[in-house]
Amino acid sequence: MNQSAIWRNRVRTYFSKPHNVILALMGVVLTVTTVAPIIAILEDTIKIHPGTIDQNLTGRVSGYTLVNYIDLFTGKMAKANLWTPLLNTVYLAVGTCLVAILFGGVFAFLITRTNLAWRGYLSSIFIFPYIMPQWTLAVVWQNLFNSNAVTGTSNGLLAALTGIEMPMWWCKGLFPSLVVLGLHYAPFAYILIGGIFRNMDANLEEAATILDTPKWKIMCRVTLPMVKPAILSTILLVFGSAMGSYPVPHYLGLTTLSTKYISMNSNRTGEASILAIIMMIFGVAIMLMNQVSLRSRKSYTTVTGKSGQISKIDLGRAGKYVIALALVVLTFFTSIFPIVSFAFETFLPNPGDYSFLYTGDTSHLTTKWWTTSENVSENGLYGQMGILHNDMIWRAFKGTILVSVACALIAGTIGTLIGYAVAKSRRSKWANYVNSVAFLPYLMPSISVGVAFFILFSNKYINLFNTYTLLIIVGTVKYIPFASRSSLNSMLQLSGEIEEAAIIQDIPWVKRMTHIIIPIQKSSIISGYLLPFMTCLRELSLFMLLCMQGFILSTTLDYFDEMGLYAFSSGINLILIVTILICNTLVNKVTGASLDKGIGG
Amino acid sequence: MTRKRLLALTLALAMMATLLAGCGGDPKQPSDPAPPSSGQQTPNTPNDTPTPPADNTANLTAVQKIIAEAEGMTMEELAKKAIEESNGATFYGVGNSSRGKSALPLFIEYLQTIDPSYTLNYDWQQPKNNKIFDQLTADSLKDTGTYAMTLIQDGNQIESKMVQTGILDTYIPKEWADANGVSASSYTGYLALQTLNKVFMYNNTGSKSYDNCWDFVAEGEHGLYMDIDSEIVGKNFLYMLTEDKYAGWMKEAFDALSADEQAYFQPTITAMKSEAEDLGLGANGAYALAWIKLWVESYNAQTDDGPICNTLVAKSARDQFGLLVYSKLRSVEESAEVSVNNINVAAYDDGYTGIGGYGYCHYLFVTDNSPLPWTACAFIAYMTCTVDGFSAWGKDMGGYSSNPAVAAENEATYHHQTGGMAEDGTTVAFAAKNDAGYDWWTTDGKLVLEDPTYCASVAFTVGSWIEMLDKYSAG
Repeated sequence: MNQSAIWRNRVRTYFSKPHNVILALMGVVLTVTTVAPIIAILEDTIKIHPGTIDQNLTGRVSGYTLVNYIDLFTGKMAKANLWTPLLNTVYLAVGTCLVAILFGGVFAFLITRTNLAWRGYLSSIFIFPYIMPQWTLAVVWQNLFNSNAVTGTSNGLLAALTGIEMPMWWCKGLFPSLVVLGLHYAPFAYILIGGIFRNMDANLEEAATILDTPKWKIMCRVTLPMVKPAILSTILLVFGSAMGSYPVPHYLGLTTLSTKYISMNSNRTGEASILAIIMMIFGVAIMLMNQVSLRSRKSYTTVTGKSGQISKIDLGRAGKYVIALALVVLTFFTSIFPIVSFAFETFLPNPGDYSFLYTGDTSHLTTKWWTTSENVSENGLYGQMGILHNDMIWRAFKGTILVSVACALIAGTIGTLIGYAVAKSRRSKWANYVNSVAFLPYLMPSISVGVAFFILFSNKYINLFNTYTLLIIVGTVKYIPFASRSSLNSMLQLSGEIEEAAIIQDIPWVKRMTHIIIPIQKSSIISGYLLPFMTCLRELSLFMLLCMQGFILSTTLDYFDEMGLYAFSSGINLILIVTILICNTLVNKVTGASLDKGIGG
Repeated sequence: MTRKRLLALTLALAMMATLLAGCGGDPKQPSDPAPPSSGQQTPNTPNDTPTPPADNTANLTAVQKIIAEAEGMTMEELAKKAIEESNGATFYGVGNSSRGKSALPLFIEYLQTIDPSYTLNYDWQQPKNNKIFDQLTADSLKDTGTYAMTLIQDGNQIESKMVQTGILDTYIPKEWADANGVSASSYTGYLALQTLNKVFMYNNTGSKSYDNCWDFVAEGEHGLYMDIDSEIVGKNFLYMLTEDKYAGWMKEAFDALSADEQAYFQPTITAMKSEAEDLGLGANGAYALAWIKLWVESYNAQTDDGPICNTLVAKSARDQFGLLVYSKLRSVEESAEVSVNNINVAAYDDGYTGIGGYGYCHYLFVTDNSPLPWTACAFIAYMTCTVDGFSAWGKDMGGYSSNPAVAAENEATYHHQTGGMAEDGTTVAFAAKNDAGYDWWTTDGKLVLEDPTYCASVAFTVGSWIEMLDKYSAG
């Protein structure tokens, strides 16, 4: 038999298995959607841009050069444009991880491993900061802590009501940025660490207790090592996201690579693209570190099936209420207060004008931000109509729903298929490659991904700027990991025998998927659709360079925040929060899946 | 084996780097000079020197030929051409001002007075930050673009990124040229729709007052100002201060300070002398550089003029000041905490010396690959030559039409100079809202006016020097 016939037969056999077809197809598609933007942005770093520093340095208006690299790394501005922002970015990303893990981890421990009171309520309320756009907490922080004496502005709520003026390090810069981002991402830590705490085998801790081991030692030597994979996963998810966050450092006055990218883009375009590349390199580095840590995770089995119950620490009759009360107060400020403050803001006569609070005079409240139906500029609306009549806001709302639904459906489906295919060929190198390349965009900072796709699709042949098509493509690529990870984890739990039994009975693949595999792992798969949907609803950093305000809600919200029209941005925030809560509740009722499902009990 | 691979990879990278470095060229010897600029000054800018008309149209693009033809037409003739071209079509415009969207329906109504059956769909986009330049650049790559025209600010970037690259073309309406006493065919400046002013304002609920522009950079002062990296016209203001005329104003203001105050600023000015020489600035360049240095190192960056205005008009913003768009005052609603009377416009104070603020323009251009060039020209003519066309902007204080005839008629309609008076017409209700008008601001008010050509010429000399300064960071 000749070699080509053997090869053809091998190919035919390989592609007779649906998961191999999926792997081959997705491998090619994801390579293109991940690598092409990177190549585009790499080209941009060596291209001469008219009217920018590279034209000035080379004296040419077109062509290629390395001066952007030389100037960025060795020029007089290297410290200001590269090293300081880089250092701040690393501090921010590390600090955010710490805050998220400490706050989310301790919270998860209290919810799952103690007899804390009001666990259901606390569990639900804790994920609110993740639901809200991240910079809205930054705006709330400003509104709370700014003061005339310290920040050189009008007084925020705290200074106005109590006269307390917080120090500058508290109001602006690194500290508030990492706290705000840490609070935003703490639900990640809570969900991941809480999942392990809830399912972990108590035998190990019980054995240590029997051996009279001190509690702190049990915590350090037994409990914490078991949640190490969840901590690593949290770092994996949070580090890149914090690194690529633009709005939080922007509002809180911290210079990071993201904020520097935006400020340098007008006159140092090529150098700004190098900053985006540097952020991407961090993403790749984190992925490689994760793969190294994955190889050494064999000893971290947490679900053994041998122990049906976990031991809960008794906080004492008073303790369980005192600690719960403290958490209720804390979550009030991170979750409820922002919403109340958003709602209140939409009834103030001027942005940040709390006259009503001092005077008690209801004439210092207004409904104009909601009900104005004429184009007027004299009463603070800057020619905008009230939220209820504002075409731009409602068009953006429809756009957001369209993009979110499309991204969720496409990313959810592709991710589920990738998870399935990778689980079926878990020892194959190609499967590992597909798995990694699908996850890579998530680890890359959003702003870099946005920049790369903007450059890729702004040319003579394809010009997708400000189109829903572009947003859906970028959102899908970025959010596939949500679904692929969720799907892979659940598929790995499925015994191959289940599908094999169906194969023996000659049941077609589509039927096997829709009648056996998907129903069994319904909850995880739906999470794979729900997470992209919710994340997409309030995504800004990823989309801000790809479309304008009025196109989707997050860019519209940011536009109003920048303009100082906080009533509109607060109103949009409320619309977003209500939408997400309705969707979460609906999905929860219909399918039983939800973000914090199973942790709060 | 691995070593060999590594060596090969290193060699390949080194070769690529050498090749690319070779592409770099000598910065001092341009090998590919940029095409000559067509954008110079508007009638509002200081160095208006019209050049002789170009008689050679052979090298013009299709849109430029249409513009040349349109410049000889009256508003009505142009309107007929627009109706012929765009009836039933969709018109895409992009601009830094959202008001283009309000002007378009009025323009359609005007065309319908000529042809009642005329219809036009429209879409007006207003990108935030600097995105408009990216958007126009991306659109220019197409044979036929999406955007018919643009209303755009920032003379420096327009000059270097849009005009020198041939992306945008200037059209001068006949009526506008007549009103300004220039010839459309020979006029080489940009067409400005209006000049907007950013003025120094301070909160007056405390004890401080500011009677000299140097007071804004005195020790401990932190003026509220839009970050110069996010709104580049703010950087243009600093560039313009180094121009001879405005540097002279800075020296005059310095001379008016008391001896104590002068003693505080003098070391900085002295230190700037060599910098000014290195940057090729005029005799008073050091005064401008000293003020710029102190300003950049002290201003408290904000995201927009809106939040600055919201802050300054609040009672609790005691002794704060800012440099912000004057027209923002129109949107303040009076309350117990907030009032326009909580602020003073510095230049209106008796005895105030020095610059009162900064004037920059909204320019109008036709895209060089415009899908509807006749309609774009007609729309531009409508906005610059009729009060109705300008009304979207004209109803607000602080924006002045570049067409003197429209400006006068607009003032007669909206009475901005008495906009702060009570209903009885004699009592001053809000002094800050009595807009002194363009002529006052550009003379007594000492408004620094943007000159695109000058800004572009110093963008990488003075501009790079500014970037080297340590910006004030509240955080």
